Amino acid sequence: MAAEWDSGSEAGPTGDWPPAAAAAASPVKGKAAPPESDAGASASGSSEAKVDDGNIQEAESSLREGLSLNYEEARALLGRLEYQRGNLEAALRVFDGIDLQAAIQRFQPSLSEKPLSKRSNKLRSDSSKSGSQHAASLVLEAIYLKSMSLQKLGKAMEAAKQCKSVLDAVESIFQCGIPGVMVEQKLQETVSKSVELLPELWKQAGAYQEALTSYRRALLSQWNLDDECCTRIQKRFAVFLLYGGVEVAPPSLASQTEGSFVPRNNLEEAILLLMILLKKFFLGKTHWDPSVMEHLTFALSLCGQTSILAKHLEEVLPGIYPRTERWYSLALCYFAASHNEAAINLLKKCLNKNESPNDLMALLLAAKICSSNYLLSSEGVEYAKRAVKDAESSDGHLKSVALHFLGSCLAKKSKAVSSDHQRSLLQTEALKSLNEAISLDRHNPELIFDLGIEYAEQRNMHAALKCAKEFIDATGGSVSKGWRLLSLVLSAQQRYSEAEVVTDAALDETAKWEQGTLLRIKAKLKVAQSLPMEAVEAYRTLLALVQAQRKAYGSAKNGTEDVENKVSEFEVWQGLANLYSSLSYWRDAEICLQKAKTLKTYSATTLHAEGNIYEMQEKIQDALAAYFNALSTEVEHVPSKVSIGALLSKQGPKFHPVARCFLSDALRLEPTNRMAWFYLGKVHKHDGRLADAADCFQAASMLEDSDPVESFRSL
Amino acid sequence: MPNDAPPQPIHSAKDALAALADILGGGLPGSVAAADDPAAALLNDPDVASAVTRRLRGSGSGAGSDSLCRWLYDAFRANVPELQLAVLRFVPTLAGVYMCRAVTRKALAGFEAVLLALYAHAAAQRGAGEAETVSLPNLANPSPYHDAKVPPKAKPAELDVAVLSPPLEPHGTVRATRRARIVGAVLELYHCKIAHMPLSSKMDFCEFCVAWAGTHSKLDGTDKPRLPPSPDAAAGGGVEKWRRVPLPWELFLPSVRIVAHCLLGPSPSDELKEQAARAAECLYWRATETMEARAVLASRSLVRLSQMVEEPIPEPSFSGAIENMAELEAMRANILSTKN
Repeated sequence: MAAEWDSGSEAGPTGDWPPAAAAAASPVKGKAAPPESDAGASASGSSEAKVDDGNIQEAESSLREGLSLNYEEARALLGRLEYQRGNLEAALRVFDGIDLQAAIQRFQPSLSEKPLSKRSNKLRSDSSKSGSQHAASLVLEAIYLKSMSLQKLGKAMEAAKQCKSVLDAVESIFQCGIPGVMVEQKLQETVSKSVELLPELWKQAGAYQEALTSYRRALLSQWNLDDECCTRIQKRFAVFLLYGGVEVAPPSLASQTEGSFVPRNNLEEAILLLMILLKKFFLGKTHWDPSVMEHLTFALSLCGQTSILAKHLEEVLPGIYPRTERWYSLALCYFAASHNEAAINLLKKCLNKNESPNDLMALLLAAKICSSNYLLSSEGVEYAKRAVKDAESSDGHLKSVALHFLGSCLAKKSKAVSSDHQRSLLQTEALKSLNEAISLDRHNPELIFDLGIEYAEQRNMHAALKCAKEFIDATGGSVSKGWRLLSLVLSAQQRYSEAEVVTDAALDETAKWEQGTLLRIKAKLKVAQSLPMEAVEAYRTLLALVQAQRKAYGSAKNGTEDVENKVSEFEVWQGLANLYSSLSYWRDAEICLQKAKTLKTYSATTLHAEGNIYEMQEKIQDALAAYFNALSTEVEHVPSKVSIGALLSKQGPKFHPVARCFLSDALRLEPTNRMAWFYLGKVHKHDGRLADAADCFQAASMLEDSDPVESFRSL
Repeated sequence: MPNDAPPQPIHSAKDALAALADILGGGLPGSVAAADDPAAALLNDPDVASAVTRRLRGSGSGAGSDSLCRWLYDAFRANVPELQLAVLRFVPTLAGVYMCRAVTRKALAGFEAVLLALYAHAAAQRGAGEAETVSLPNLANPSPYHDAKVPPKAKPAELDVAVLSPPLEPHGTVRATRRARIVGAVLELYHCKIAHMPLSSKMDFCEFCVAWAGTHSKLDGTDKPRLPPSPDAAAGGGVEKWRRVPLPWELFLPSVRIVAHCLLGPSPSDELKEQAARAAECLYWRATETMEARAVLASRSLVRLSQMVEEPIPEPSFSGAIENMAELEAMRANILSTKN
């Protein structure tokens, strides 16, 4: 009591508070200087207010509180001044004198809980609270600035430790999180900035685990961060997770409600955060940040989940992306997800003459999509031609790409047109484009391959062979379709044993699991060489593989297996059935067909093979019925058309017009079908059109020398 | 390893260091030889790294009798995690040189043995038949980072699961058609540990990535002839030119992830970022060749991100002028004098 009076009396007599306060401070702190007292202007102001209040005891305690802080407050203010002036080292020296631990202990009782123990007068407790909050705010800010100074001086590790101590202090002062309304603005600002700074410091210091922990701490604890600040942290965290390459444990399952999503790895956590960020923007809580969408695009493309990405792109509010750009991006997403129709529709909008008709990338994409579809191929030719024209001004690379797609579209279109004349024009043009593309880019194996296919389809086997070899060289034999092309081209040249050597070499370079298509070619090569027993053996090997694959993947159908390299069991039975029926092993053939049927009930191929068997057994009506059934399951089934034509042509002159019809139709669909030419020639001959007949027979005989064991379209 | 008479088994980082000194002939820099933590020295020492990468890039490397490959193989198989990191450090050069040369179908049994050992390790780590999958979050479900209004008793929304990397089948030899998959899986392994990798290792990867893509960055101007020159020119020049290689998705994916790390990961090196930006652009142009949409989207995003400026960390704000400047000045003098 006496002491209180003593110190009170020091303030009492003069009433001139500041100098007296300084006098009181000096003995306590030892090295404080007189001007120190005025440093904490607002703190002393509040003390003063209490003196005026007349309650001396209260004034004294809060005064002492104020005074004992004065020293640190002063250092805080001073350091801040130095920092502001850019004297980082001087600032650090000043900040070094601040004892944060001691300060925390002083703040703790007054801030962490409602001051029930003290005499409760609302006004007084509030003012004392704001006084110590102010003090706390100054000291915490000082440590935060200390951390900033250290960072700028390149001492990231020390900086991080200081910054962490700010957060630890805040947590120990406010044990139940930061209350939203009761915190002074300045204090909140320091807290927010420190929360945001800490992970960056750990990152700079190379302490990635700590960075991760501090990101999670920032986002999962109650810091009362504003939306913008939280957004920045979430974004940086997502970037860190996505690209940091740090192996981290997923966030703990604790305190998770049922059904909530808990990311298991970095990528999932990053995607989650990015999606949250986008949603925040859509709700108007933050400003738009284009990088968020790019990061999400990157992450989702890695996973191949572009249809989800498309949804997010569609949600982006209008006015952010130019609409043509958005259409193009969406088209990419849909194309990657194999929704080609959606993609091409978007591109049509984009390339409309009122939008951006000369967008090179959109044109290229449109041409690419069209090149895989007969119906779109002529549209594709237009896009590709525009792209070629556009690319004229840019470098050779994109022009080569445009020419490549032009060639593909032309080739596709040539297969869809009905007139021979048009077809040959298109074929020539396709070759020209592809060759021109190659002259611009000699190192693109895809180009060489497509050129090879085109040559092969046009039965220029010599050139096709050259391309196939070149493709294998350029890819180091790493692409299976190159081997298959070479083997088929050789088979078309009737060089079966060489084709077999190539197939065997390819089998050597292929893992067991992916040998299906090669084994199928091998079996067909054996058939072509009239080696039925070896062919059966080859089919047997293939069947074993296919069945093993079905067992392995049957249950877990993820759709990830590349379909192009797989042979279906159905095909194998079908092939065996054809083989047996060619040997007149009817019973075996029928068994194989039954097997095929159980796998695929309505198949034109099976029905056709059935018809074939009937025909060989001279059951003409049954055979015809089977062929027609085949046609009704698949309107454009060429072998059935040929068989019907052939069968009818043998039935006497009155069927000849019908037969001719079927055969011509087959040739329209498949101009290189040698049997169709042959039977058409026969029909012409029977009808007395000898010149036509001669032409047809010539075509048939020419094609016989260039018939691959398997269509090039299977590649 | 087809090599006969193995030199000495490697059981520890120290053995590895000794063996490497023998192989490199000239001995190791003193700082490495005497290091307290030999594995860390192997991982980080620039002299060792440049000596080893020079050997790996040198003509004739990677044959079955290449003692350096033997060393990498033994060091990795020693099963010392720190030593394995030191081996992984050379993956960019190893994979880079290997892929470029494999196209010409040279015998590279030495490289292949190392790559297969790494691949087997990755496969074992993953578990047989396990794919690496990603469950895509659905914001209709709450998560640690956001709340969602879920009607009570509603089932959580279904998640899409994407396969990031299909299962790793065992491979005893490198078959040409699986080469990209094997090297891709090794790069995935490298990517897992990329945070531990030194800068020069990442630089090497970006360099090879540019060569692999075989396209050419607009950053370098449009007038230069397009890569790569013919192999004959390389033979004459003495320095091997790295060439374009097939980049199917299984190889493209890990490559683009590594480049993304170099570009946007927490590395302070501007040099690396610049090189990574170039690699990203080359990958983008490569992707446009076939317009493979996934590859175009991923690499395009990287290129765009490389052009964006990172948002800086907010600076402290100082609201209001400081009062009592004169007194603070006085105090400043006082404090500074007492402290020093």
